[in-house]
Amino acid sequence: MTKVFAPAFILVCVALSFEVRAEDLPADAGAEDLPADAKIEHLPGGQCLECHRTAGDGVAELWHDDVHARAGIGCETCHGGDPEQADSDLAKRRGTGYHGELSPSQILLSCGGCHADVDYMKVRQPLLPVDQLDKYRTSEHGKLLAKGETRVAQCASCHGAHGVREVNDGKSPVYASNVPATCGHCHGDADYMSDFGIETNQYDEYVQSVHGKALLEKNDVRGAPACNDCHGNHGAAPPSIDAIANICGACHSYNAELFLGSPLAPAFKEKSLADCVACHGKHYITHTRDEWEGDKPGATCRKCHEEGKEGSDLALYFTETFGSVRQSFEEIEQLLTEAEMKGMDVTEGEDYVEAARQGLMQARTLIHSFSKPVMEEKVIEIAENQAAALEEGYAALRALEDRRRGLAISTLLLLLLTIMVAIKIRTLPPLD
Amino acid sequence: MSTSPENPDRALLAWAKDRYPIAKFAEWAKHKTVPIGPGAFWYYFGGITLFLFFMQVGTGILLMFYYKGSADTAFESVRFISAKVPFGWLIRSVHAWSANLMILSAFIHMFSVFFMRAYRKPRELTWVSGIALLGILMGFGFSGYLLPWNELAFFATKVGTDIIGVIPYIGDPIMYVLRGGEEVTGSTLPRFFALHVALFPALLTMFIAGHLFFIQMQGIHEPEAWKAHPEQRKTMPFFPHFFMRELLLWLITLNIVAVLAVFFPAELGIEADPFSSAPAGIKPEWYFLATFEFLKYMPAHVGPLEGEELGLLIISAGFALWCLVPWIDRGRNPMMTKIVMAAGVAIIVFLSIMTYLGHSA
Repeated sequence: MTKVFAPAFILVCVALSFEVRAEDLPADAGAEDLPADAKIEHLPGGQCLECHRTAGDGVAELWHDDVHARAGIGCETCHGGDPEQADSDLAKRRGTGYHGELSPSQILLSCGGCHADVDYMKVRQPLLPVDQLDKYRTSEHGKLLAKGETRVAQCASCHGAHGVREVNDGKSPVYASNVPATCGHCHGDADYMSDFGIETNQYDEYVQSVHGKALLEKNDVRGAPACNDCHGNHGAAPPSIDAIANICGACHSYNAELFLGSPLAPAFKEKSLADCVACHGKHYITHTRDEWEGDKPGATCRKCHEEGKEGSDLALYFTETFGSVRQSFEEIEQLLTEAEMKGMDVTEGEDYVEAARQGLMQARTLIHSFSKPVMEEKVIEIAENQAAALEEGYAALRALEDRRRGLAISTLLLLLLTIMVAIKIRTLPPLD
Repeated sequence: MSTSPENPDRALLAWAKDRYPIAKFAEWAKHKTVPIGPGAFWYYFGGITLFLFFMQVGTGILLMFYYKGSADTAFESVRFISAKVPFGWLIRSVHAWSANLMILSAFIHMFSVFFMRAYRKPRELTWVSGIALLGILMGFGFSGYLLPWNELAFFATKVGTDIIGVIPYIGDPIMYVLRGGEEVTGSTLPRFFALHVALFPALLTMFIAGHLFFIQMQGIHEPEAWKAHPEQRKTMPFFPHFFMRELLLWLITLNIVAVLAVFFPAELGIEADPFSSAPAGIKPEWYFLATFEFLKYMPAHVGPLEGEELGLLIISAGFALWCLVPWIDRGRNPMMTKIVMAAGVAIIVFLSIMTYLGHSA
């Protein structure tokens, strides 16, 4: 009997205590409306928060939004000490395990202490991965830290220390659209990076790239890659040459498949060229243009295939083919517009144009096969659709001529009829 | 039996005469006359409206052979009619142009009747039935506009039915029934199709029959001056004199429609998408533009009324007065006649300005 009543009694007490607290608040008060003191009141942290609140170092405020605070994890979990003691000396006294501000290496161990503990995490956050620490150790950051370089990024550099938010929280520094700025905070700082011998223009280039514009301007957080999508997050490192086609291919799978099956893949490997990057660039990746092909100075192909040398014939074929296809589109557009302006229905012609445009888009992808026969097959399909569109345009103009001829004949007939009726009227008996 | 195998035409006539009062009808037709006065030309517009209506019926039936009245199929079926069906483009364009010209012709007919004061006793019901006919024709236009299920028609219908919804008390239920729900959706199209090909033709046939019956019973209105000066009275026989002249105008009208259909064929635009946002510059057909524009000038609120409610109230009151003109101006008070005529001119000026502003907006 006692076994039943005891939990029930506790539940009632908890409910009543909540009710009493709720009564003290305005009826419409949400968490955001709470005064700072009241917010901190119910967070784990005990006396540590009391002192830090009065110290005005912002830790207590940050702590309010921290996922760990909401999970009931107190300050002592990372920092040690005795949170029950109001006196700071007693709270930090020897024997309490207090170690104050954590060094970068300590941060790793502190975060990894839980996040790399499979048994611990599978109970509390079973969907979170537990390999962050292992990956970190393989990263450039981790390797340098292991060598004693403390200026490299560790967990708190990206996630924050006391205001850690979930990754899918838009305010988190590691939310997809915030990642470029988070990485750029160090990697865009020339002074900070001066000892590391790497470029600092990645962020500036990225924001101008197709990926940067898609992520930062169109807010395509699901589709557009941020830094971590290519470099890795916890295992962040410059991709090796062998990895590039696979990294880009994670999204651009067909392009990667075509390239890896093309004669250029082994040639690139032999010359240690970085697959996709060799033509498209790294951080400043822009929309491709047909002018990239060809063997003239300035063309991408020209980087390796000089005019008249091996491979330039294929480059020339690509550039001439696309030029011709583009010119045909202009001619078709002009024709269909003329017919449409004259009131003719050219929807079928437009359907053929659309099919040809789709074909052109596929042909641009097929460039990655670097195969003339493969491209020829697609070009024939485009040409057929363009020819059909042209025929529709000419047929519309012929039909227009037919209509006008028909109108002229019918007008003539109606005029004759009108004249006959007019003559008949004149022959009617005169009116009184 | 007075049939004769040697002369089948006469035999057929004799057969009919044997059974029906054809001689009486021929006698009546021989004596039916039309007045010849200064405004005689305007008498032809009633007949032109009727002719355009027959064109509507003919082309409408042909369109129905291929038109599929559901949201999934309507646009494609109209596209098929325009692009694939032999002379489909012509039938559709003639249907669209003759509809517009029919409403224009009906307007001209109504105002010519008004300014000739042909609404006066005993033709009050001819006047009212004529206004009802114009209303039905506009209903035809409104319902037919949606049928191609293109973007412009979709949003114009939304705007048009929104205006109906403004009417106090009865507006919302009417709008709901017309739309088949809260919004213009695929459910609206079959309703408009049913109105266009079933209800409105039935109503129009009844009202045309009534209108023509009144005209035949009471004869065509004669100029007022003839009452005082009967010696000025001048008429022409309906058959064949008036009829041949009417035929002449029908042929000219037919040619105008053909020219318009060839040089300005009916457009189709892009298919309606109920989930897309309305494109800029949505306007109703020209005969609703004046109302549409007038409502735009209404302030947001006037006393207890919404601006649009007040606008509709003014339009409704004006329409009621227009219907009551035969009882307002009975021809007994010259001042009243002058006021009514001045009001008629003001209405034409108002409609023209509002239509122009709506068109150029």
